[in-house]
Amino acid sequence: MLNKLLATVKKEALLLLRDKVGLAVLFVMPVALILVMTLIQDSAFKSINEKGIPIVFVNDDNDSLGYNIKQGLMENDLCYLVDSIDGKPATAELAKKAVSEGNFLLGIVIPKGATAAIRKNVSALVDETMNGSDSLQQQQDSVEITILIDPVAKKSFLNAVTSNLREFISEVKTKIMFQSFSEQIADVIPDRQNAPTNSYQKSQIIHYKEIFASAASEKIIPNAVQHNVPAWTIFAMFFIAIPLSNSILKEKTEGSVFRLHTMPTPYLLLINGKIIVYVIVCLLQFLLMLAVGKFLLPQLGLPALVLGNSVAGIFLLTLATGFAATGFGVAVGTLATTDHQAAIMGSLSILLLSALGGIWVPSYVMPQVMRTISSYSPLNWSLEGFYKLFLRGGTVNGILPDVCKLMAFFFAMMAIAHIANLKKRNV
Amino acid sequence: MSNSAIIEIENLTKTFKHAEEPAVNGISFSINRNEIFGLLGPNGAGKTTTISILCGLFAPSGGKIVIDGKNLYEELPLIKKIIGIVPQDIALYPTLSARENLAFYGSMYGLHGKNLKNRIELWLEKLGLKDTGKRQVSTYSGGMKRRVNLIAGILHQPKILFLDEPTVGVDVQSRNVIIEHLKEINAAGTTIIYTSHHMEEAENFCTRVSIIDHGKLLTVGTPSELINNSTGATNLEGLFLNLTKRKLRD
Repeated sequence: MLNKLLATVKKEALLLLRDKVGLAVLFVMPVALILVMTLIQDSAFKSINEKGIPIVFVNDDNDSLGYNIKQGLMENDLCYLVDSIDGKPATAELAKKAVSEGNFLLGIVIPKGATAAIRKNVSALVDETMNGSDSLQQQQDSVEITILIDPVAKKSFLNAVTSNLREFISEVKTKIMFQSFSEQIADVIPDRQNAPTNSYQKSQIIHYKEIFASAASEKIIPNAVQHNVPAWTIFAMFFIAIPLSNSILKEKTEGSVFRLHTMPTPYLLLINGKIIVYVIVCLLQFLLMLAVGKFLLPQLGLPALVLGNSVAGIFLLTLATGFAATGFGVAVGTLATTDHQAAIMGSLSILLLSALGGIWVPSYVMPQVMRTISSYSPLNWSLEGFYKLFLRGGTVNGILPDVCKLMAFFFAMMAIAHIANLKKRNV
Repeated sequence: MSNSAIIEIENLTKTFKHAEEPAVNGISFSINRNEIFGLLGPNGAGKTTTISILCGLFAPSGGKIVIDGKNLYEELPLIKKIIGIVPQDIALYPTLSARENLAFYGSMYGLHGKNLKNRIELWLEKLGLKDTGKRQVSTYSGGMKRRVNLIAGILHQPKILFLDEPTVGVDVQSRNVIIEHLKEINAAGTTIIYTSHHMEEAENFCTRVSIIDHGKLLTVGTPSELINNSTGATNLEGLFLNLTKRKLRD
């Protein structure tokens, strides 16, 4: 039986190696998809993760408020500030023009005298509090910060920036208020030498700390590479269903299946030969894509793929994905009656399963209903497994549920193919 | 049932799902060991269906088949080991060479190693394909493909060989080579069951023939017996037309 299996594997390998176009589809297509999709999606992921979105910043204040907002936004991961346009210092007019032309998603203009106005208002407030005068009502000046918005800017991004601005303004206001109160109190307390020198900083007693809830020892940021490399590799692995189903159909149309069914060799063994070869192809595809993610993408200015810590987990998940993909191919090849039918059935179902599975757009940005549907796609099981390994420092134990689901899918597909085969022969 | 019979068929019936009439309608005959038995009939007569059932490709609707003393559906795996089939279609992988195709099919019959290699080389030489055995089958002429198709069915030296139109669409040279070697195989002990539309070839090649039409067995006997017992037929083609009429078939 082993000799028969080896002969089948050899035959399938030779058939595949001589199909140059098929091979190109299996190996070149996913590389091209990874390159194109990663480069396209890189900026979108940057908007979430990195200093990706430029904001034109006009600081006419040149005092505490302008300085604090500038400093705060510069330290923020959300964006980076540009304070000149075409080599000239940014002005309110230039900024408005640049945003309207789509060169920036946002512009922030801090008006002249903004800090002075805040100071004046705060001083009046402190004076009223300490001395009971009603100078506040007489002296209140409003401060208007202008935010220029490109209509295409995402509401979530806009909200994040305005929320940051409010925080910085509030901080500046509090700081000035604190200083004013300190000065007023110092006037009534004779021993000024005992007053704390950095009392405002000391008053900041609440801090927050960001910790990634993953088992990985280092911080791995989800980016276009971490998503696209596994995503399009899984897509390519499932795309193997098309050449595999064609190989099964060719045997039917070219008459080989007639001879194969009359031979003293179980048909399942012949199918197993195909599965072994195509699973090996899946593993090779994965290795190639890892190499692309690790070595080629950094050459194009993209981050290198981070693999996590579990080589065994990666191997197990890739193997299970390969089995699921080949099982799907066997089912398509058995159910379809012509090459054309197999190509349409195979490609459409893979496109649908990949879209639902979060290959094109990660499922975590999908609405809840689609996220629920997504969890039924085998491509999603695989992708979630790779997220666990690559982003959350997952181990073999962590991905076992995904591996089990993929293997169950493989066995279900094989059962469907077997029943369809029996039905077809029971004419 | 006769002791010398290698295939015994009793009341074989096959009606395909959704078909109005049976493709094979209660035929009974036996084929003796070492015979060259012709299964003749017009298109759609039921020849290929009969051969497919005898090879275990699908189950009959009724009847009994005994091959080499074994009930076909009780001992199908054993029977599959002793039969060979040369289908009408070229059942080869076009992008593999003749040697690669034969190595694969030979392995499926349990041959391997030197034995398999020697048999491939022997038959490639006999059928004039030794020098072109490395070429992909897709580059072969129709006659060359037919010869490789034949070798794939006989490499394991089957006791029974089913030939479905083995010489269709080939030139005279290839046909002669194929027929000569089939006679040689038969002389070595293989029983041959052969279908063809080529009446002259069947008349010269077969030791006995049967003519079936509309799934029914019309006659069975040696070609000379059948011709002599008919009225007005001087050859097998005349007898065939007398029995199956001249109406065109689909």
